[in-house]
Amino acid sequence: MTFFVLLTKEMRLRMRQERIVWVMIVYVLLLGSLGWLYLSRSTSNSSSVGYDWNATGTTLYQLLTLVQMVLIIFISPSFTSGAINTEKELRTYDMLLCSQISAFSLVAGKLIAGLSNVLLLIAAAIPLFSLVFFFGSFTPLRILQDLVVFAITAAMVASFGLLCSTLFAKRSTSTAIAYVVVLLWLIAPFLYLNLVPVPIVRDQVNQQYNLNLLVWNPLVILSLNGGVLPYVSATYVFAGMHISSWLAYILLSLGATLLFFLLSLCFVKPHALIRIRASFIAYRKNRKRG
Amino acid sequence: MSIIKIQHVSKRYRSVQALNDFSLEIPRGTTYGLIGPNGAGKTTLMRILAALIIPNSGQVWFENHEVSRTPTVIQRKVGYMPDFFGVYPDLTCAEYLEFYAGIHSIARHKRIGIINDLLELVDLSTKRDDLVEALSRGMKQRLCLARALVHDPEVLILDEPASGLDPRARVELRELVHTLQCIGKTIIISSHILFELAEMCTHVAILQDGQLIVAGDVETVIHQVQGKRQLEIHLLEQERLDDAIAMLKNIPTISSVTVDGKTGILADFTGDEQALHRVLADLISHGIPIVSFAPRTAGGRLEEVFMSITEGSNQQ
Repeated sequence: MTFFVLLTKEMRLRMRQERIVWVMIVYVLLLGSLGWLYLSRSTSNSSSVGYDWNATGTTLYQLLTLVQMVLIIFISPSFTSGAINTEKELRTYDMLLCSQISAFSLVAGKLIAGLSNVLLLIAAAIPLFSLVFFFGSFTPLRILQDLVVFAITAAMVASFGLLCSTLFAKRSTSTAIAYVVVLLWLIAPFLYLNLVPVPIVRDQVNQQYNLNLLVWNPLVILSLNGGVLPYVSATYVFAGMHISSWLAYILLSLGATLLFFLLSLCFVKPHALIRIRASFIAYRKNRKRG
Repeated sequence: MSIIKIQHVSKRYRSVQALNDFSLEIPRGTTYGLIGPNGAGKTTLMRILAALIIPNSGQVWFENHEVSRTPTVIQRKVGYMPDFFGVYPDLTCAEYLEFYAGIHSIARHKRIGIINDLLELVDLSTKRDDLVEALSRGMKQRLCLARALVHDPEVLILDEPASGLDPRARVELRELVHTLQCIGKTIIISSHILFELAEMCTHVAILQDGQLIVAGDVETVIHQVQGKRQLEIHLLEQERLDDAIAMLKNIPTISSVTVDGKTGILADFTGDEQALHRVLADLISHGIPIVSFAPRTAGGRLEEVFMSITEGSNQQ
């Protein structure tokens, strides 16, 4: 299958660059030093007798997850926002179009290659996160849930970056637009809540209103999971169904990822409409023969 | 029998008419040279043939398949080499070819054999495990040619394959094209170096401003313009130059007259042998002191044919 051929080529090219090694080193060092700084500061003024290690562990974990999420959100587009237009800049795009590679293989191969780099970063940080088990109060299920949020968020942001790379001819343009949109997506609900006066935010009636605004924000979902925002309901009501905000976020993000993927399929090769019509004619011919 | 039929194809890029009602038939097994100045529409034509762009009007048939409607057929049967390298610098030559073999759906077990054969054909066997970025320009060009051949296409489209190559690399490329001719491939090639095309091609088409000026086998094209000859006349005295020019301009079979040096005249002549004799007789009867009177063919070489034809089109 042409998908695996493209994926192999992409992995070869990416892993031969020094960039990925440096990104991993900086990423793990940043998270590690942040955790070390927090721990050293919170324990410096306390005696070991009667110290609440549990609370320290919880705060450390929340800090690490939020920072990791922000890092993932801002690193993911860089791996995919130039995936297609770099081929144009290298002038290899025409050669891909002249081959028998399908739009699906092209988009899926590029997306998975870019995503694998992000997943590598998430995997590299797992040992750091496992340190919080020493402080207690965390279940493996909780960490697993957060890992799923990381992975789904990375997939959504990466697929959006890929869509930008199919829409814009220049890598710099697509990367800039991807970052601006991702930044807006991240801060827009908070800006809205701060700019528009919402009466009695902590009131039970307004809980659902707040959640509707914030449910598609990964930082909110991670905080809800950790109980940082107790005044926002953890249950999302959609068409009369009560689902957890975590599940709502996962479903929304999967839907967005699928949408970005399908749009990328449309735009990755030129003459989308003509290609669809040709496929339809070929399908009808095959049916008649069959 | 024609393998490619181009019928009334037009292509416009915003305000630029790249091709205008262009029609051409390319016989199977020929090496067809596309000649034209920059902006004549050669690359547009080649990209249409490779199913990379779709014409605004007209049709291109590859055997019984309309190119724009059956791009998958074209992708199987046509190998396209654009006028730029398009390589992944961090892959080795073998990995580069393996990638393209893979995306042309060639079975994994066949790939190694094909890659070895192609590297041998383009004389890059010793560079098999070298990174592409370490290759010279000529080697990269040969690697790109190998890439275009990886799926054993019936038709090979080469856009300016010799551009930027040193003389040695050009000779090697020419030999390679000759080898492919012998294998029986139909080759469509464009180049600015016309004497090379004349050596390689069995047929040529001359384009200008998106239109076909003349096409056919090389001999026919040259013959078509051989009716136009240039007269090279040298006088004994410079004083009679103006008289001679004035006299020549009044002769209907002479289209243009230019001064060549102090006593020389160049005149474009379009008549037969009797008309040529009358020109000489007239000059002598008017007492013009002629030292030499030399009619010569204008299109003995493809380069001159091209210059002659495109110059005529410009005047129209």
